[in-house]
Amino acid sequence: MSAPSGALVGRIAALSVVVVFFQIGVVSEIPVFGVNVDLTPLLAVFVGLICGSTLGAVTGFAVGLLVDLALVQTLGVSSLIFTLIGYWAGRLRELRDPQAALTPLLVGASAAAVSLVGYAVIEFLLGVDAPVSLDLVRQIVVGVVVDSVAALPMWALVRRILEPAMPDDPRRRRRRRAYTTGGLSPLSRP
Amino acid sequence: MHDKTVRRRRALLVLLVVLSLLLLTAYFGEAPGGRLHSVQRAFLTVVSPIQDGANKALKPVRDLFGGVSDTFHAKSQRNELRKQVAKLRRELVGDQSEKRSYRELLAMFHLDNQLSIADYHPVTATVFGKSPNLWYSTVTIDKGETSGVRINDPVINGEGLVGKVTLAAPDAATVSLITDSTVGVSARLGTTSATGIVQPKLGDPNDLLLQYLAPSTQPNKGEYVVTSGTVTSHGDSLYPPGILIGQVTSVNEESAYKSVNVHPIANLHNLDVVQVLTSALGSRPSKLSRLAATLPPGQSPSAAASGEALASTGAVP
Repeated sequence: MSAPSGALVGRIAALSVVVVFFQIGVVSEIPVFGVNVDLTPLLAVFVGLICGSTLGAVTGFAVGLLVDLALVQTLGVSSLIFTLIGYWAGRLRELRDPQAALTPLLVGASAAAVSLVGYAVIEFLLGVDAPVSLDLVRQIVVGVVVDSVAALPMWALVRRILEPAMPDDPRRRRRRRAYTTGGLSPLSRP
Repeated sequence: MHDKTVRRRRALLVLLVVLSLLLLTAYFGEAPGGRLHSVQRAFLTVVSPIQDGANKALKPVRDLFGGVSDTFHAKSQRNELRKQVAKLRRELVGDQSEKRSYRELLAMFHLDNQLSIADYHPVTATVFGKSPNLWYSTVTIDKGETSGVRINDPVINGEGLVGKVTLAAPDAATVSLITDSTVGVSARLGTTSATGIVQPKLGDPNDLLLQYLAPSTQPNKGEYVVTSGTVTSHGDSLYPPGILIGQVTSVNEESAYKSVNVHPIANLHNLDVVQVLTSALGSRPSKLSRLAATLPPGQSPSAAASGEALASTGAVP
């Protein structure tokens, strides 16, 4: 595992701050089917999917902490959930490196589901004073669907910003060459 | 080399998870004035000017999306509002004569010392941040301690009750909305003296629950729910009496106490400008708040204060 470059860390930090403030100032104020799109777990999961488990976990923790501090929520809840999401996405990349076009959609949906269910579990563990409606389940399902729709543009944005600063990955280079040349080097063709 | 990498990666994960759990435990266990809350307050102080600036810059984007969303609902809302206007106009005619009689009676029995919203020194603030989370219904406003905003101050807008201040920094404050799980408001049904506590229903941000109504209460669909001017627990916010909270949508009779579902009047999804009722130190609302902190839950400080005043003037035995 090589240490991430300063440029990559800088880009992740800047992206995190911009996404969190954009979320709080704009996205949260536009309800879609009665729920709000949440870009923050998507950011953690896509950083993990592009940069690996270590950066995914650290970004998840930092973004979670930023969200909890800025919104005056219980400190540690978002950090815990986003750390796990970022780490899981990073391990997915390191072990499987999925390349299908639907991968960002499925990974984004999974991150949204883990985030929404994770919040529910932690809040129930901490104790909820107010009565809970069964509509909570509907809200979670709609939230996952809405976040999944937002996952594709978010993936495109995160990839566009982070990939130029990524060190060249030999596995990906090999795969790219195999894809563009039909699996053979031009020199070895008959 | 590989083993070392794996060990380092796992150690980092464990460290971050443990750190999150420690933060969570410490924050949950400490008092609102504790160290971590102070860190949050300091953070809000630092980032509020940035957030405020970003909010102003991004307002056109928000308005564009908000405008599209509003257009979809405009037609159905217009028809509904026309019906409401016709109904309210009929009610207004009847109420005007009753109001005159009511004022005369208040003056006759020396009860015309009720507070108006202006007595609470309302401070107008702009909302510049909102939580996206199902579990936290909070907004951040651009006025704080320097404008006289303090923790527990009630927050309203032109439509009705919005929430209360839960954290105040010098130039910003966080408001927990009435749909937040931590907020409970002492309320009464508009046409009766029946009181209860309004709480949110988690998972349904368009629905509140007015609970603990006496079994003999006869609530009607469409009836308005207003603040009662009492507190629900020690140290809770004293909302001035008569602020509109919502409208009854249905009645539940399954428990020993009656409860009703209430649709909030204020559009909490689209808050732009709000007013914080600050009640400056030494003012009558401020004294009433202090009195409320000493009373058992459910008792009205206004009534207690009026009672004291009447007793001192000899108007009551």
